[in-house]
Amino acid sequence: MTSSLLSIASSGAQAAEIALDITGQNIANASTDGYVRRSANMDEVASSNSWSTANDVSLSGVVVSGIVRNADSFLQSEARRTGSDTAQATSTVSGLTDVETAVEDSGVFTAIGTFTNSLKSLAENPADGSLRASVIQGGSTMASAFQIAAQSLSATQTGLQGEVSDGVAQVNTLTTQLSTINTQLSATAGATGAADSVVTTSDRASLMDQRDSLLDQISQYADIATTVQPDGVVNVNIGGVSGPPLVSGSTTNTLSTTTRTDGTQALAVGNAAVTLGGGSIAGNQTALTKLTQISTNLDRLAGSIAQAVNANQANGADLTGATGTALFSGTTAATLAMTTSSGSAIATAAAGSAADSTDPTNLSALSAALATLDPSTTMNTILTDISGSVQSATTTQATLQTLSSAASSSLASQAGVDLNTEAINLVKFQQAFQASSKVMQTASTIFTSILNLTA
Amino acid sequence: MTITTSTSTSSFYATAAGQLSSLQAQVNAVDNSISSGSQYATASANPEAAAQMRMLQLQDATATVDTATADRATANLQLADSAMSQMVNDINQAKTLTTQAATGTLSDAQRASIGTQLSQIQSDMVSLANTKDVNGNALFGGGVSGSAYTTDSSGNAVYGGAATSQTLAIGGGQSVQTSLTGPEIFSMTDANGNSTNVMDAIGAIATALKAGGTSAQTAAQNGLTTLSNGLDAVTTAQTVIGARESWITLNTQNLTAQSTARATAESQIGGTDVSTAAIKLQQLTTALQASQSCFVRLSSLSLFNDIGN
Repeated sequence: MTSSLLSIASSGAQAAEIALDITGQNIANASTDGYVRRSANMDEVASSNSWSTANDVSLSGVVVSGIVRNADSFLQSEARRTGSDTAQATSTVSGLTDVETAVEDSGVFTAIGTFTNSLKSLAENPADGSLRASVIQGGSTMASAFQIAAQSLSATQTGLQGEVSDGVAQVNTLTTQLSTINTQLSATAGATGAADSVVTTSDRASLMDQRDSLLDQISQYADIATTVQPDGVVNVNIGGVSGPPLVSGSTTNTLSTTTRTDGTQALAVGNAAVTLGGGSIAGNQTALTKLTQISTNLDRLAGSIAQAVNANQANGADLTGATGTALFSGTTAATLAMTTSSGSAIATAAAGSAADSTDPTNLSALSAALATLDPSTTMNTILTDISGSVQSATTTQATLQTLSSAASSSLASQAGVDLNTEAINLVKFQQAFQASSKVMQTASTIFTSILNLTA
Repeated sequence: MTITTSTSTSSFYATAAGQLSSLQAQVNAVDNSISSGSQYATASANPEAAAQMRMLQLQDATATVDTATADRATANLQLADSAMSQMVNDINQAKTLTTQAATGTLSDAQRASIGTQLSQIQSDMVSLANTKDVNGNALFGGGVSGSAYTTDSSGNAVYGGAATSQTLAIGGGQSVQTSLTGPEIFSMTDANGNSTNVMDAIGAIATALKAGGTSAQTAAQNGLTTLSNGLDAVTTAQTVIGARESWITLNTQNLTAQSTARATAESQIGGTDVSTAAIKLQQLTTALQASQSCFVRLSSLSLFNDIGN
């Protein structure tokens, strides 16, 4: 009886000590990323012996049967999903903003306006050398602006392609780590039987923290669908439930990326093409697609201006009386350049006019052709297109950010460490330990008095 | 074992950090819009407004060119106007001289002397007809380089300019001819109903007066009719020039009104409403301060401060 009391007290003291350890661990990891609050799972030990009778009192104290990892898998997957969407939106906004800056800061719009206005000024006196020089200056400024825009876009494209490649490399590294964790989870599954049940061992709890943290990290790059096996091993499909498997158990499949001819990036696992619905790589892909479109439009605009000016040049006579030659070379934004720096090359007069003619016939035709082409409005449309895309992406991002914050905040509330609760636990388990010590002391006193009795 | 729900410490700090930085970002945005004077820092903040602003600014740039062109057109028209006033004076003087020559009391020598003066007026008229425009080209020759009129061997003025005057676009889709061509000013019919021009008509009278005899007086009498026709031609042309000048003035007023309207639109679309922005700034600053002191109070609440010791 008294020895039983002593062992009950000692089991209580041990349990309280373990609970204090866990509380300490929680406090220590209060701000560790991916740490899920633990608590001790205590079970009463009251098993009767096989030879005991039905009415026997058989109390054997308490045992810590395992660690409870307070993770709600629904909240976790919700936080992961919304986080993935937010990562996509954020990288879309950042990529599109780069595209916007590249096109906007190149000053193409202003340069087009300056060029067409310099042609209008030339009409005041078509033979004037300084007015002709300002047209040439306007033309070469416009060509440089197009080139700057094309170069900035190209640099942005390279940057975005690099981000996709980096993202893919990161995903592959993370999946390799995940497969290692899977192997360990699978190996330790026997320790508790039903592995991902609430009660587990401290080692496995730590592995699961790592597993969930890796899943969170992968989902920042790409949207994934996860299936947790009973032994805690997680299988991952990339690009949603119907996407190709990325991790199954301890085997991984490598995600690869290739650059298409238009500069956008394609993703595949083996031979299976991957279409992402979330994650920063998906955002980069969206930005690349938009960049390709903007770049094509810009090329088309540059080509059309060059074509209109050059076609008109051929219909007129320049200042020397010769038939006008092409003023622009190149048909894309990157290659647009002026073929001459001489103002006299501008064919302002009607074909067949004498040298130094002040006849503005062909100049009027050029102004009319440019007015019909209306490059400023086209450029304005291009700029509005990209800034509109940035705006709508930003709005989407703000919405997704709110959803994601709400999801991660409810996950953190549920799975995170609250120092006040831990403070209470600290006091509670300290008192439990002290109480168990008191029980031991009582058992000892009783035992001593029995010894004294027999002596 | 039930899973308990509580507010986690890390989420408290994360939420507080998010809220404070969001408020700070808003304060910065308002501050930026006040100091820069433009409501939007980037085009993507409001793509429609940015597109409108770009087109308005392009129109501003175009209006500057239009105004310069209109000024140049006005300058040419004023040159034409003053040259034509001089022509009218010349023709009037020719009329006075011819009136003297038409009286019967004058001798042949006196008529010949008047004829010489008329010849000088003729050459003055030719040089006036060759007035240069602001670009240094022929004002009454459709803007060709060189002279509008040359004198042939028989002393007649021959037009060598372009068929039409230079046309300049002066904005608002309007264009104006900056002068008149020589034939538009000087073409006329003499007393006998023959087509001629003012310079040749004066020359013909001068030649007849110098020739002397009885026909000289008749020529002077007919010459008065001829010169009246010539005066009509030049003054009619001058009226056209005057009308164009006032047309440009009207158009320029229009452009100025449009430019003012654009400036108003620009400030409405893209400018910062300072009073609204200042109030918003005050509101945000108050909210930020309140949030900060809330955070300090809440974060100092910890059971660890009160337990034990």
